[in-house]
Amino acid sequence: MKKLLIRIGMVLVMLVVLNWVYSIWFFEKDLRKHSDIVELSWQVTDDSCRIIYLGESSNNHYGDEEQNHRKISGFTADYFPTVKMGDLTKSAGHAQTYYYMLKHVPASSTVETVVVTMNLRSFGPLWIYSRLETALRKQLVLLEDYPPLVNRFLLAFKAYPILNDEEWDALAYEHRHKDPLDFPYDFEFDDNYAWDSAMAWRGWCDFDGKYDPEMTWMACYYIKSYGFSITDDNPRVRDFDAIVELCRERGWNLVFNLLAEDVDKANELGGKDLMFLMKRNRDYLLRRYGNLDGVTVVNNLNLVRDVNFIDQEWTTEHYYEEGRRIIADHLAQTLKIFYPEDYHNPDSLVLDKGHYFFAETRALDRQRPYSYALMLTADSIRPDWGMVNVAFEIKQVDSLSRVVFAVEKLDAQGEKAIDSYDVKAQVKKTDEWDFATFALPIDSTFRSAQIIKLYVHNFSDSPVQIRNLDVSFRPAYLKARVKAQTYKSVDLQDGK
Amino acid sequence: MVFNSIEFLVFLPLVVLLYYLLPHKGRWLMLLAASCVFYMWFVPKYILILLVTIVVDYSAGLLMERFADQPKKKKTFFIVSIVSTLAVLLIFKYLNFLTANLDQLCASLGMETHLMTHIILPIGLSFHTFQSMSYVIEVYRGHQKAERHFGYYALYVMFFPQLVTGPIERPANLLRQLHEEKKFDYVNISKGMRLILFGFFVKMVVADHLGEYVDEVYGHLEEYNSWSVLGCMVFYSFQIYCDFFGYSTIALGSAKLMGFDLMDNFKTPYLAKNIAEFWHRWHISLSTWFRDYVYIPLGGSRVKFGRWAFNILVVFVLSGIWHGAAWTFLLWGFAHGLLHIVEKALRSRFPEKEPRHKWLKISVDALCVVKTFVLVTLFWVMFRATDFEHLKAIFETAFTNFDGGEQMSVKPGMWIYLGGLILFDILLRNTRFDAWCDDIPLALRWLIYAVLVFMVIACSSVANFPFIYFQF
Repeated sequence: MKKLLIRIGMVLVMLVVLNWVYSIWFFEKDLRKHSDIVELSWQVTDDSCRIIYLGESSNNHYGDEEQNHRKISGFTADYFPTVKMGDLTKSAGHAQTYYYMLKHVPASSTVETVVVTMNLRSFGPLWIYSRLETALRKQLVLLEDYPPLVNRFLLAFKAYPILNDEEWDALAYEHRHKDPLDFPYDFEFDDNYAWDSAMAWRGWCDFDGKYDPEMTWMACYYIKSYGFSITDDNPRVRDFDAIVELCRERGWNLVFNLLAEDVDKANELGGKDLMFLMKRNRDYLLRRYGNLDGVTVVNNLNLVRDVNFIDQEWTTEHYYEEGRRIIADHLAQTLKIFYPEDYHNPDSLVLDKGHYFFAETRALDRQRPYSYALMLTADSIRPDWGMVNVAFEIKQVDSLSRVVFAVEKLDAQGEKAIDSYDVKAQVKKTDEWDFATFALPIDSTFRSAQIIKLYVHNFSDSPVQIRNLDVSFRPAYLKARVKAQTYKSVDLQDGK
Repeated sequence: MVFNSIEFLVFLPLVVLLYYLLPHKGRWLMLLAASCVFYMWFVPKYILILLVTIVVDYSAGLLMERFADQPKKKKTFFIVSIVSTLAVLLIFKYLNFLTANLDQLCASLGMETHLMTHIILPIGLSFHTFQSMSYVIEVYRGHQKAERHFGYYALYVMFFPQLVTGPIERPANLLRQLHEEKKFDYVNISKGMRLILFGFFVKMVVADHLGEYVDEVYGHLEEYNSWSVLGCMVFYSFQIYCDFFGYSTIALGSAKLMGFDLMDNFKTPYLAKNIAEFWHRWHISLSTWFRDYVYIPLGGSRVKFGRWAFNILVVFVLSGIWHGAAWTFLLWGFAHGLLHIVEKALRSRFPEKEPRHKWLKISVDALCVVKTFVLVTLFWVMFRATDFEHLKAIFETAFTNFDGGEQMSVKPGMWIYLGGLILFDILLRNTRFDAWCDDIPLALRWLIYAVLVFMVIACSSVANFPFIYFQF
């Protein structure tokens, strides 16, 4: 026995040494290889972010035909140009993934506020027992709190659920069958499975009573996705609770961004019962987290209309630009509480420091021909300024676009004058980012105007994108920061 | 429960601890319960199949012994037992194959039939049915006394270290040991741990890493050139060896922790100089099973060449079919049998002469080893291919696409792992890892342990590769 104890001691020493060797030379490489989400967490420090946005595919998904691929987090960042905001986006991610991402945000980070996507569907059995879970859980093993060698040991010996597609489906089925539905009134079905089966059997009929097989399939899918009642035992609730605890420990402001669901379609397909459950679940989350100190829940559930959902044949939270903007705007109003001084509405930004830089990519097309505008009042034009340098990147689909940089001046009598500067001479490329610069004199008309607005205007049918708009007011004696050229104003009336 | 899982690493020490804490008379029950848990970890309901086999063969053993003086009755019970065990095998392993082929046959005759069944193969069925049959045959032959204790018999069939992938034990070895009272012995613990560690290294570091390349290339043949496919064939030879050898070694180690000695299943098979020797070194428990229960009853080698060749072909075709219910396995077995016959024919026609010089002998032996390895490697393709189309595609790509396609890129680490394995194989050619460790100095031994522990934990593949032989 003594011999055995000596050997056990030797094994322990060996493991300590091996752990040291592994931590020094191998662990980081393994983390990058097998748990790449941690790189996102590390990036937060590298970028000195103050706000971080954690999301899944709702954040980075855009329509095939869309030119503007900006994320919800990107649009939100536009409201806080002086606050560095980063996003940690992991497709198919959920609260458990976010928890591990947050846990690995380095202590030295400058993070103050954390925005965590809260997806109503992610509380349902269809997502909790999704086929993607094996891969997702595997990614989290190395991120446990144990010594690095122990984590690698757990990964080597598959300490995560290894289930095949059929096994995950069986688990989802089991919970759909077993988990009760919480209705305050008599409801025909005891569980999600019975409800879904009845819909499949009876079929979905339109207003004329006509059976529609495609809509029946969709109705079943909506019932599967939203027909559940969140309880305190829900694994996602436990994950969100853990996030709350973690954010408290780290002293971060926590915002849960409850995503919009296609309630229009849910109502049409699942009727009042499905809507009841969706609202009940929303209320559960608002009640559970909205009343906690340091936690804010942004309720976007019904903000986005059906037309702004990209996937019309199944349930996702993938929005077209307008949907993404709506959610960003709503979220920004909450973040404004934490950053009142830094908040600017990107559609009417007042320039007050003589230099304005805007990284946002924006699509300009027939429906939305104007970029964000910089609005100045007469008294904000300092006497020593003699020039305004303008630079921006532009990408046009074809050479038919007609884009100008516009300076709109409104005098005391309410008369409006627009000076437009054509970018055509500078930008020849199509489908590639190009660069346009202007140096505009600050003449008497500038100084006599009451309000001045600066923006990019696309007055053709051909869409373009712009980004990195840089406007700098300079004293007359200084050279322009960019290679400047002055252009004559063009007449918008005849389009020359 | 699979060996390379956290569950097993918790389960095994618990079982071993309980085993030594319990008095001898209670151990069988604990081991049987543990074996049930081990087996039911996969699909619980399949234990019922196992139970049927156990009950039938246990009863057959007792009845054969009771009617030992009435040969007809004895034979009847023997046949009932064998047929029922084979029926289980036929239903759960071969029915899908047979019905699918019947459907195809009918289709070729212009008849549309839907006989195809979709029965899921219970894990380890081929192994435990063969183990059970070996008991019945031994009792029938009078070499083994019938086991009166149902629990011990059930444990003989279900002993968890070798339940799902062998070694296929004989009652003379395992059943006898189950009755013996094992005392705690540090040497057994040490040897068992060594074997388990080495088994993990071979499976998780070498086999699973090789599997990543094999799956990639065999799964995307159209993207790779001939060199990659040829390289992949060699990789598969090592993958299947390491996978199965790794499992067997862990099984041996797990049993050794409790003082049980299971039979060796491998003895450096890729160092064999001819195919007959290969089968003396590869999956020894199956080879000897077929030798004792099929080959020798057919007449063995003490018959004319033609009859012997027939016997060999029967044995190898059965061995092929034992592995899997597919034509590719049958072809694989047939190819091995044929090669065996050709080699023997050549040997009898051109008797081997002992080379005069030592180095010449070494060179000739090395060439023979390479020749056998190349042939076995080519035959493994049949074993790995999913069907004949896949088999054809592998061989076509391997020999006709030298200029097109991508070159498989192999990470340096892979060569190190493979090199390590080959080095171990050479070092262990006449011994086993646990015994080999006894002969090296303590410091070096612990250095080897440390390196192996580190490699198993830090360098193992994270891909999930079930043991290949689980499917049989």
